[in-house]
Amino acid sequence: MIAVMVALPLLFAFLTALTVPLRMERYAKYSFLTGALSPWLIYPFLEKGSEVVGGWPKIGSIEVAFDAYNSLIILGEFILFSAVALYSIIYFKKEIKALVLLLLVHVGLLGAFISRDLFNFYIFMEIASVSSFALVGFSGGKEATRAAYKYLMLSLLASYFFVFSIGIIYLKTGYLNLELVSQAPPSKEIRAAVAVAFTSLLLKAGIFPLHLWLPDAHANAPSPVSALLSGAVVKAPAYGMVLLSLYLPPPENLRNALLVLAFSSMFFGVGAMLLERDIKRFLAYSTVSQMGYVLLGIATLNPLGALYYAFAHMLFKGGLFLSAGAMVDKAKTRELERLSYRGDPILMTSVLMLSLAISGIWPFVGSPAKAALLKGLPYGKELFYLAGLGTLASFTKLNYYLMKGEGKGYGFTVLPSLIMALATLLAGIWLGSSPKAVDAYLLLGGVVLFLLLRTSGALNAKLPRTEITPRDVNMGAALFALFLLLLLHLSQS
Amino acid sequence: MKMSLVVRTTTKLVAPFLVTYGAYLTIYGYESPGGGFQAGVIFAVSVILLMTAYGYRRTRKRFPLMTVQLVESSAALFIVGVALMGLAFGAFFLNFLRPYMPGGTVMTFNIGVALKVGTSFVLVFYIMSRWVDRD
Repeated sequence: MIAVMVALPLLFAFLTALTVPLRMERYAKYSFLTGALSPWLIYPFLEKGSEVVGGWPKIGSIEVAFDAYNSLIILGEFILFSAVALYSIIYFKKEIKALVLLLLVHVGLLGAFISRDLFNFYIFMEIASVSSFALVGFSGGKEATRAAYKYLMLSLLASYFFVFSIGIIYLKTGYLNLELVSQAPPSKEIRAAVAVAFTSLLLKAGIFPLHLWLPDAHANAPSPVSALLSGAVVKAPAYGMVLLSLYLPPPENLRNALLVLAFSSMFFGVGAMLLERDIKRFLAYSTVSQMGYVLLGIATLNPLGALYYAFAHMLFKGGLFLSAGAMVDKAKTRELERLSYRGDPILMTSVLMLSLAISGIWPFVGSPAKAALLKGLPYGKELFYLAGLGTLASFTKLNYYLMKGEGKGYGFTVLPSLIMALATLLAGIWLGSSPKAVDAYLLLGGVVLFLLLRTSGALNAKLPRTEITPRDVNMGAALFALFLLLLLHLSQS
Repeated sequence: MKMSLVVRTTTKLVAPFLVTYGAYLTIYGYESPGGGFQAGVIFAVSVILLMTAYGYRRTRKRFPLMTVQLVESSAALFIVGVALMGLAFGAFFLNFLRPYMPGGTVMTFNIGVALKVGTSFVLVFYIMSRWVDRD
């Protein structure tokens, strides 16, 4: 039954594609929406546990699971994709190809989240990322095509190394099923393979030094696609890291390196956010920072914390990108100074709610997720709170700019972001957190920090418009190679 | 752009045999080396050969873009449909045709995959020749 959840959107993706040669384009919208929403019908009937597809013998077959680790992240993907689907049928009116590609991203993500098998995980992650390369370049503009090209080159490089590491694991153990792989005796080769796999997944998840492709790709994509990319597509590699750390736990050295990376990613993202003036790039850098939190959970061997945070990030970042999309599509500019949510109280409420959620303030989903992460953190709690303070300061900046300017109504396009804002509130209450005094101090501290930085003039520095030029894909590849060597060395010593 | 008479005649002669070989690989793929993907590639090669010999426009007349798209999507629907049909007999992807057919669903899957892969490759070549070929 679990695999049917993936099969239904796939079926409707091809049905949507079939409307083009049959000249029934006007029905494509309905088949797209059915495909996007059909997994909701199955979700309540799923039983916790794992099953082998088709009842074939377990060795050499595909195992899928639905358990405490992935049920939450699948739920988050459903909520986000439903909101994105609502936005897309407004945004892509006649573009059936985009609708099909969006459904394929949905399929790829769901498939990656349910698989318990390395190769199957890789295949579904690739379905999601290949469709997203096409979607990033969809608008056909020069910037978007370049961003898609960079994303394509670096992501494929990482993918090939991931397949290479799967190959090593398969050669050494003879299995691809993670549960069977974990029973094999530990060896040098498997540790090396885990290091290679971690490096490639770090690149695909957009963690700090390997994040080069991320801001360009996420900022230049069409608005609903940005929400899906930042919200969900980067979670697939993060989930892969969680799977690897569950079944093949990385050695102590590697974990320490990951912890350092996590903190540097958190702070780098915050720093770039404070300087950035382009709303979509601002949110993209925020993803770099937030993926650091997810990596923190993985590095401290706290997979549930990482997945809680991944779920929370899906909701609030998806919502923020959808609200940014509503403003950007109307105003046709991405400059923070020229955008405003005045005159639309619904959009204003949802942006404020989502900003509080991303900063981890009490009734919203960020708070229990951060509490879950903090539980597993042995030391460095001060750094964790400092990063939270930075996030608050940068989101104060976002709201400060959005509050200025003249009012304008946004109509129906604010509905998806309202759904996401309500989802963050409900999920926060459902996951059960308690109000803490720290939240109030952090909130105050964030506003004060922003005002201090603003009056001191530290926020006037200009960031380059693009992270790397297409010629410098080489630079990204060289960085990747250096990291690969570093992690390999750490895993062996 | 037209190739010489030798090339065109040879292509005309070779292409039907390629299709036959592709059909052989599809049908016997479940018990011998080969299978849907390989057969699909061979199907695509026969069309692509015609394209190199006669040019994009003449090939498109015989194999219109619409038909290729139609076959591609419906082959994919067929594969997912067979996988979902297994649900009625107990499990997703169940080999429920085993008693009635050699190889059971494996052969039906191979046929679907061959059509899907073949038409997808042809589609990719069509789309690329739109930019390159100006005959």
